[in-house]
Amino acid sequence: MLRNRVNYLGLATMLAVVGLWEALVRSGVVEFQFLPAPSAFGPRIGSLVSSGDLVPAFLHTLQVTLLGWVLASTIGIVLGLLLGLSETAWRYSMASIEVMRAIPPVSLVPVALLVFGFSIRMELTIIIFVSAWPVLVNTIDGVRGVRAELVDVARMLRLSGLTRIRKIVLPAAAPAIVVGLRLALSLSLVLAVVGEMIGNPSGLGDALVKAQQALQPEEMFAYVFVIGLLGVGLNAALRYASARLLPSLAAGGGGVTSP
Amino acid sequence: MASPLRSRPELTSVPTSDVTGPAYESHNLSVDLDSSEGARRILTGVDLEVAQGEFVSVLGRSGTGKTTLLRVLGGLLDPTADSTVSFRGEPVEGPPEGAVFVFQNYAASLLPWRTIERNVDLGLEGKVSKPEMRQRTAEALALVGLADRAKDYPWRLSGGMQQRVQLARALAVRPSALLMDEPFGALDAMTKSSLQDELQRVQERTGATIVFVTHDIDEAVYLSDRIVVLEGSPATIGHRIDVDLPRPRHQLATKELPAFLKLRRAVYDTIVDVHGQAGDVA
Repeated sequence: MLRNRVNYLGLATMLAVVGLWEALVRSGVVEFQFLPAPSAFGPRIGSLVSSGDLVPAFLHTLQVTLLGWVLASTIGIVLGLLLGLSETAWRYSMASIEVMRAIPPVSLVPVALLVFGFSIRMELTIIIFVSAWPVLVNTIDGVRGVRAELVDVARMLRLSGLTRIRKIVLPAAAPAIVVGLRLALSLSLVLAVVGEMIGNPSGLGDALVKAQQALQPEEMFAYVFVIGLLGVGLNAALRYASARLLPSLAAGGGGVTSP
Repeated sequence: MASPLRSRPELTSVPTSDVTGPAYESHNLSVDLDSSEGARRILTGVDLEVAQGEFVSVLGRSGTGKTTLLRVLGGLLDPTADSTVSFRGEPVEGPPEGAVFVFQNYAASLLPWRTIERNVDLGLEGKVSKPEMRQRTAEALALVGLADRAKDYPWRLSGGMQQRVQLARALAVRPSALLMDEPFGALDAMTKSSLQDELQRVQERTGATIVFVTHDIDEAVYLSDRIVVLEGSPATIGHRIDVDLPRPRHQLATKELPAFLKLRRAVYDTIVDVHGQAGDVA
């Protein structure tokens, strides 16, 4: 069903950009004190791995991102089902949801910091608070968008309430929910890194800030590159998983791998 | 016609014998639907009796409430409080066991994430054992000629095949009544006539009661034992026409019978007479 082909054109563009960057820095056309060429920070990744600095930080960020995402997704899907299925619940809560969603995510970081201190709880709280929204809103849309015909089919075949949700509503809403899950995953990584930069002193975000304060641009770019790789990897993994689980949902290509 | 109950071969797989009364009975059935100006009466005073095993077509121009009537019979829509509707002697409150729908919009009524086979399974899951479900689904698919497409997804099938899947899904639960809402309305003429004949065969084999909504006069005359015509606004049954053509019917031979042509003319006149013009009744 699914063949992950490498998008050679996309990769070539990426390599060309990196090559241009290298050429501009080396030739001296672009000259900043703290802007290293890719060839200068690339090898730093290897040395950070062998020094034992990178792997624990990477694992911390990965773990917090995934944990926060799973919790946010669970909350989003459960609440989304409730609000999508119950007209009353929807009427009572939609105004609050619209207002709370409009709060820029980062503005909650100081609040969470004050409430939870420098801890993993603070990191998780901001991830969940921010990432649950796209899942919640997309689940509500997906559930409310289930076609009336399918509801009629479920009724005339006398499916019970829970069976109806499991066999009709959830699969019909799945494409919308998956969109929410993908948005939430990227947000989770962003918020994990922000939380580590400002609040919880561990992980890649913290390492990045420390490299900056130590005036180590090569190390800093190495961390930026690793965070980018983590983002690409997480997104690809989720795309692969959703294509495996939902064969009728073949998302469009354009990434490093196109399904 | 002396009796709407014809003699049938003993192939019937439907447990219809335990009840001897009519399949459907409605008295003074009225329906209000919400509209922009509040509740609007769609149907009023509909008295309808459908015998077990009878094929009744509901005709009428679009917007008269044919689908509404069918949804009330199927328990998908509540009539007004003073209406009575019963299915096999029991008042209809929600979809009753033993009556299933075949909807007009086949594409939207199948689950795109399930294979053909699993779509047919839907009405059986949790109600019969796994082996029985396998067997019933295979039988239903064979009956509509789709045994070889069991593992395909619905969206890979043509419109006629998708409608066959819906019919198979309905038949798999071994219903005593089929409620069909313009099931062949969106299909081309060739597919339509072959599905009409398939439906005849299915009814012959299962003995199911069929209430069939259509706006196609030829189709109604060709398939039915009886035709009821909905008229007026709010609508009620204005005409009842018995169709005593011999069975099994044949697309060419039956349609060439003088009796067929006479009935066709009579039904057409009824509708033209009522509305002054045929309107969008084809």
